[in-house]
Amino acid sequence: MSTDDQKPRHPLCMACNLQIGGISATRIILWLVALTIISFFIGFGILALSGDFPPQPGQAVSPFRHTTILTPNTTVIPLDGATEGDVRITLGAGDLSLQGGAPATALMESTVFSTAAVWQPELVQGINGSVKSVTMTEKGHKGKEWFAVDSPNNWAISLNDQVPLRLSVNVGAGDNLLDLGTLNLETLKVQTAAGDTIIDLGGYHGERYDAVINCGVGDLTLRVPRDSNTRIRVHNALGDIDNRGFVQDDDQFVTAVFNSSQAVNEITLNQGIGSLTLESI
Amino acid sequence: MLQTEQEFIRILRSRLEGTLPEEELNDIVSDYAEHFRIGKADGRSEEELFCSLGSPDDVAREIRATHLVKKAEDVKSCKNIFHAMLATLGLGLFNLVFVLIPFILLVVLLLVVFLFGIVFAIAGPAAFIYSVLQILGIPAFAIWQSPVAGVFFSIGITTFGLLLVIGDYYLARFFYRIGIRYLKWNISVITGTEDEA
Repeated sequence: MSTDDQKPRHPLCMACNLQIGGISATRIILWLVALTIISFFIGFGILALSGDFPPQPGQAVSPFRHTTILTPNTTVIPLDGATEGDVRITLGAGDLSLQGGAPATALMESTVFSTAAVWQPELVQGINGSVKSVTMTEKGHKGKEWFAVDSPNNWAISLNDQVPLRLSVNVGAGDNLLDLGTLNLETLKVQTAAGDTIIDLGGYHGERYDAVINCGVGDLTLRVPRDSNTRIRVHNALGDIDNRGFVQDDDQFVTAVFNSSQAVNEITLNQGIGSLTLESI
Repeated sequence: MLQTEQEFIRILRSRLEGTLPEEELNDIVSDYAEHFRIGKADGRSEEELFCSLGSPDDVAREIRATHLVKKAEDVKSCKNIFHAMLATLGLGLFNLVFVLIPFILLVVLLLVVFLFGIVFAIAGPAAFIYSVLQILGIPAFAIWQSPVAGVFFSIGITTFGLLLVIGDYYLARFFYRIGIRYLKWNISVITGTEDEA
């Protein structure tokens, strides 16, 4: 019996003597190395001949097409004489920045920074009596849209500061900054699935409002003015609560000047996993 | 507390049964019996001999680790190196740091390289098909700056993926060899036979 026969055979060991069509493993590796180098060399050579290589300043070295929209897409939704507003925003994945400061004649001004034209949201507006409504919805990413590379999807939205607003924000995954201190709210609904959220009502002097905030996974910071008559009911599943300036009674947090006999801003806050910071500023 | 030589041998045998071949086990047991016989002939008490040998459990663990490392060296397989690593781990709690963590890191590294290789090897042909379709003007959405260049880049991506997979195999062999040497050194340090090794 030969020495090889006595040695235990293992599938990996057989690859040492790998033969494909009579070619040894070493030759296969050398062929693969040569093919790799030549393929990339020819590929970049073709790009060089077509003027795409070397890249322009500020452009990444990539054989892939860049679909960046260099100019952000801005849309203004006019008030059309309405005295109230109903705004619903649904963003699947991306970062949302929402604040006041829209022009006096506009209900909303939205700016979308996205690399793919097909990712532009759908805007539907209508007027019913004195209420102007607008729905801004992301259509979703599917199919060929995933081929777009390096694809941020950021929405910056400004809302009218004067008209009473019913505001609904629904975000799937992403970080959100809702700077609502200058707005005039009737109701506020915020729903986030994953990501950090800051809701800043600092300096708010609008009408009394009711708010429902549902936060899935992520840190949440909520700021309200210390001189407002605000009560927050918190249902926190998993995570710390950092109370900065509120008077706590079990799961209720009220501002220092809270008086239940006066109009109260009611906030119901449900959080799944993540830390919660409540700031009375 | 051990009472007799027979008890030491019995415990040693029971700990090693199933791990070592019967013949090798008998050799080891007879070596220890011989050790007791010579010791007693030199006028040493059983208690002294027990103290010099240590507990039969520790002795069995050392023999088991040495045997499994040798087995992993002779027959290269994932199962054998895993068993050798576990046996060495049993020699001391500190081996959680000195054996287990390096072992996990190496396995993760090999897995990551392998997965990258597979992804490139699969993505390459897909990109090749897409570049051909792009040349034919079929897709509405172009991904390549130049589809002709895309054909060559696709080939390059595929072959690079295959190279990663093959390279991962050689990397695994290299780590296997290094790992065996490291386990041997580890055992020799623990058993105090570093100089002999």
